[in-house]
Amino acid sequence: MDFKADQGTLRGMSGDVFGKSGAGQGYAGGMSKDSSGRVSDVKRQLRGLFEGYGYTRYRMGKFEEYDTYAKNRNFVAGGAILTFTDTDGRLMALKPDVTMSIVKNTLPSEALHKLYYFESVYRAEDPAAGFGEIPQAGVECIGEIDLTSVCEVIALAAGSLEAMSERYILDISHMGVLSGLLEDAGVDGESREELLRFAEGKNSHEARAAAKRAGMRDEDFELFDRLIHLRSRLYRAVEELEDMRLGERAAEAVRELRAIAGVLGDRENIYLDLSLRSDARYYTGLVMKGYIPGLAKAVLSGGRYDGLVRRLHREEGAVGFAVYLGLLEDAGRDTQSVDVLVIDEKGDPEAMFEYVSGLRSQGLSVRADRAAPEGLEYKRLVRFTKEGPVNG
Amino acid sequence: MGETLNVALPKGRLGEKVYKLMESAGYGCPEVLSGGRKLIFSSPEGTVRYFFVKPSDVAIYVERGAADVGVAGKDILLEYCPEVYELLDLDLGKCRMCVCGVPGRAAGAGKLRVATKFSKIARDYYAKLGRSVDIIHLNGSIELAPILGLSDVIVDIVETGATLRENGLEVLSEVCPISARLIANTVSYKFKYEELAELVRRLRGALEA
Repeated sequence: MDFKADQGTLRGMSGDVFGKSGAGQGYAGGMSKDSSGRVSDVKRQLRGLFEGYGYTRYRMGKFEEYDTYAKNRNFVAGGAILTFTDTDGRLMALKPDVTMSIVKNTLPSEALHKLYYFESVYRAEDPAAGFGEIPQAGVECIGEIDLTSVCEVIALAAGSLEAMSERYILDISHMGVLSGLLEDAGVDGESREELLRFAEGKNSHEARAAAKRAGMRDEDFELFDRLIHLRSRLYRAVEELEDMRLGERAAEAVRELRAIAGVLGDRENIYLDLSLRSDARYYTGLVMKGYIPGLAKAVLSGGRYDGLVRRLHREEGAVGFAVYLGLLEDAGRDTQSVDVLVIDEKGDPEAMFEYVSGLRSQGLSVRADRAAPEGLEYKRLVRFTKEGPVNG
Repeated sequence: MGETLNVALPKGRLGEKVYKLMESAGYGCPEVLSGGRKLIFSSPEGTVRYFFVKPSDVAIYVERGAADVGVAGKDILLEYCPEVYELLDLDLGKCRMCVCGVPGRAAGAGKLRVATKFSKIARDYYAKLGRSVDIIHLNGSIELAPILGLSDVIVDIVETGATLRENGLEVLSEVCPISARLIANTVSYKFKYEELAELVRRLRGALEA
């Protein structure tokens, strides 16, 4: 990672990145926090958050030439892509990914490309379940990436999670720590891959056996195992890492984490988890995943993907993340809510229409119905009888 | 008191062994031993809630977050590759995944016909060997396949080898050792870290005792 920004300036800026009110506050840039986590509310909050950081909305079509994805299929989770032949004979794909399309369609410039999107992608994440439409939101920062841009994207990731739930965890990792340690210990090739795979699953017992097969020294493995399970807030975890006797390659990665932690400060919801991993062909160094309670898997994922940008013949870097809005919908958070539910109990239609219009003119959202619809949330219930409106 | 851990245990003998291990680690719940048809049991002090499910379903409950932790066989983890953390080898339910066949019956040089319940494990094993195979997925009585000429070999779990011997089959090679593993949901691991770390620490102690 090439950090060009001046450390002193960035320290001064950290208050602006995260708000001056301290841990877990201020990410949403003055927006009211709504912990209900409904998808429509979340989208509105995310839009405000991204635009508050000066990010521009990127809109894209549903199709793109298949060639865009063909050479980087591994970047697309699951790998399967829906294709069709266009009227002019070109092989087209329903977009399985947003990032690649954005990188391809932005031109190099001195200023950074700071973009956000709300788009659906189409792919088969679980081959047994077939293709599906996957709604996502995300942020991409492309260009000469410096420490400021990286920390800003981390702040946006934390803010995005906070928009979904007051309780959240953002895990940060640098892939160079574990892979550097293995390289320094002389473990490479398939053995290195195998050990990193076990690390990702927090699987010490099989990692130990693999380390033995690879001829790794016991003290090197003990350090590796300690790193897999190291879990504390990023700032403190980096301090622990600095006290460990790491080789030069791993120490270099720790210095990058130190720079990030220095800017972010000691944040309550940002943790270090070195077992996080993404495809090393595309991701370079920093990776992150975000979690909120009640969902079975990470709702946010991203990192530094200079590797992908270079594979697409660009010399710059990039950092970003995606928020999997579909997971919120699947978890039943896509419920609708109104301020007032008015139940018609054989009231006068004209009077009821006038009453409901009156409520709406006060700026309230109102649903008039014969019974309470399943899944509808409301703040107030009014029964409209022959005598007129009755509360509750 | 920390948050309650939801624990999915496999029904049957393995589940009973795992419960005994949990009990010796301080996670007892006397109600579990009371019999009956109840499926969910909460410990008196509220530290754990057990539920018993089909062994092959444990990983699904954990991966989908219905359970924070569970105990699943390595065979299931290798076959279905659920996105979970594998925190501990419990050293229970030990057996081997093996290639078995009729002694002395040489397989031809062509495509090897392999009958198995564990298609992915078999495919991965032969891919590593560079051998071309025809995987025949069966759901039970796998031993019948080579006897009736449906397949050249089978890939299956071998515990004592008694069933193989009774059917005139033998182990030709071992694919991997199998045992029960403690697995955790990746999100639960973040939000119930203290409780999970304590569970692992105590189970490790109970295993070493």
